[in-house]
Amino acid sequence: MSLLTVDKLEVVYQRAITAIQGVSLRVEERQIVALLGTNGAGKTTTLRAISGFLGLDDARVTEGSIRFRDTQLENRPPYEITRRGLALVPERDKVFPNLTVAENLAVVPSRTSGTARKMEERAYHFFPRLTDLRRRTAGLLSGGERQMLAIAAGIMCDPDLLLVDELSLGLSPVAVEELTKSLVAIRDELGVSILLVEQSATVALGIADYGYVLENGRIVLDGDAQRLRDHSDVQEFYLGHTGSDRRSYRDVKQYRRSRRWYG
Amino acid sequence: MQLVVNILVLASIYALIACGYVLIYRVSRVLNLAHGELMMLGAYLLVATASGLSNSPVAALLLALALSLVVGGMVYLFLMRRMTGEMVLAAVLTTVALGILLRGLILLIWSASPRHPRDMLGWENPVFTLPGDARISLYAGLLIVSTVVVYGALFLFLRFGRWGMRMRAAGQNPLLAAQRGIRLHAVFALAWGLSTFTGATAGMLIALDSGLDSTMVMIGLKAFPAALVGGLDSLAGALIGALIIAAAEVGVIRFIDPLLADVVPFLVLIVMLVVRPWGLFGTREELDRV
Ligand SMILES: Nc1ncnc2c1ncn2[C@@H]1O[C@H](COP(=O)(O)OP(=O)(O)OP(=O)(O)O)[C@@H](O)[C@H]1O
Ligand SMILES: [Mg+2]
Repeated sequence: MSLLTVDKLEVVYQRAITAIQGVSLRVEERQIVALLGTNGAGKTTTLRAISGFLGLDDARVTEGSIRFRDTQLENRPPYEITRRGLALVPERDKVFPNLTVAENLAVVPSRTSGTARKMEERAYHFFPRLTDLRRRTAGLLSGGERQMLAIAAGIMCDPDLLLVDELSLGLSPVAVEELTKSLVAIRDELGVSILLVEQSATVALGIADYGYVLENGRIVLDGDAQRLRDHSDVQEFYLGHTGSDRRSYRDVKQYRRSRRWYG
Repeated sequence: MQLVVNILVLASIYALIACGYVLIYRVSRVLNLAHGELMMLGAYLLVATASGLSNSPVAALLLALALSLVVGGMVYLFLMRRMTGEMVLAAVLTTVALGILLRGLILLIWSASPRHPRDMLGWENPVFTLPGDARISLYAGLLIVSTVVVYGALFLFLRFGRWGMRMRAAGQNPLLAAQRGIRLHAVFALAWGLSTFTGATAGMLIALDSGLDSTMVMIGLKAFPAALVGGLDSLAGALIGALIIAAAEVGVIRFIDPLLADVVPFLVLIVMLVVRPWGLFGTREELDRV
């Protein structure tokens, strides 16, 4: 049985706007899975649906199911889901800006009582640079440091599955390199599975075992990371390799048509 | 010298009540306009426990304090919880309705005649003479002491306590707090409990000092400008705001006209709203969200 099974998921915002439809994906134990797609494809919506909506999101899972181990997760509040071992590193607003680095980690409740100390040591172990920044207000951190803190806070939740939204957004290649290494270390040392949302296919497929491509709220392509890397459409549209002659819009539409072949 | 003592006592009253407004606003951006009524309810809880436990007065006081904490939590869990994630305005209107309801309920149960819980408990209220010939009654002194203790405890709790940090976190970003596994309802219920507890402490001490009837609500209302002048999301601000309002009020009573006393806090409030709407210590952008 898979760790996470998302089946034909549909999410509707404000009771009217359908953001994703028929999205199915799986994450196995100890796997890093990439979820790729252009702006507005529905990546964030998918992660948010898995990690739980609050009333103020005005969003609902209207169809399909999300199974984590053997519990159904759809439309449960985030704090329940996090306590079941599923932590999200959000796209924006990923730290509490007026709290210090240490406080950002300390507010996380332990999943099993008495493990707070151990979790904290673990967080600093994967991100030693945060040790010197303990007393710094999180709002003053650089983008890279903030992402480290957000992931560290994610591990504080002691998850079995870590959901990361936009790992590389706005970060320098050096910082991205460092963060991807940390993610791989987290998977290898803690056995945590990771579902990684990315704009940059290069980054995501570099560390992922498996990948999905989302477009206009639907999965259009999926496969082993190696297979996706070799796939000509992915190369063209997500890896930025242009062939000898530039394709026209008509070809793009053709690619959309050919996706059914995989879907 | 007497003037200074009067200002300090009045400032303590306002500060002790104002921190309740601040606590709830800080975690949920909701203005609790029923705070005055909840404070008064706290004082009447003491009347109730005092008539039941008149031969063990300390137990009566402690029980009333504990009850106020529970009442605050209950108000959140049974009423305000439904408003979490809704429009802030809807929640504020709910507190207005709650206030009116509580006022009616209090009249119904305890009637409008004045009560004197101190006599019921058989306690004295001796007056002390301080250096400089200023005089202060025991319970007025206790009001100052309680304010210092409550603010000290709240500062420590919010800075170093895990639940205090969680309250700050939930106030900044409830969604992220929930995503980190923090039970929002527990945090909010705690804020309501603490807020009612501190308000009720003020209400009980005022009632012990000088008795109570249903006009006590006015004091709660006058403490609101203190919270706002300081900036609704700042405890230090509430302390300073309370001092400013108390000084202005006592000054006007002494030098201009005692009849103006009830107007002064709101005059200061209006001046403040025109000059610096986010308060002395508040965060500027915080107000835009209301
Ligand atoms: N709160 C909301 N209310 C209404 N519509 C929304 C809301 N959030 C997202 N949407 C819509 O849902 C669709 C998917 O958005 P989503 O944020 O999931 O995309 P994304 O793949 O994460 O994009 P990006 O790469 O830009 O982050 C978009 O069309 C967006 O306009
Ligand atoms: Mg997104």
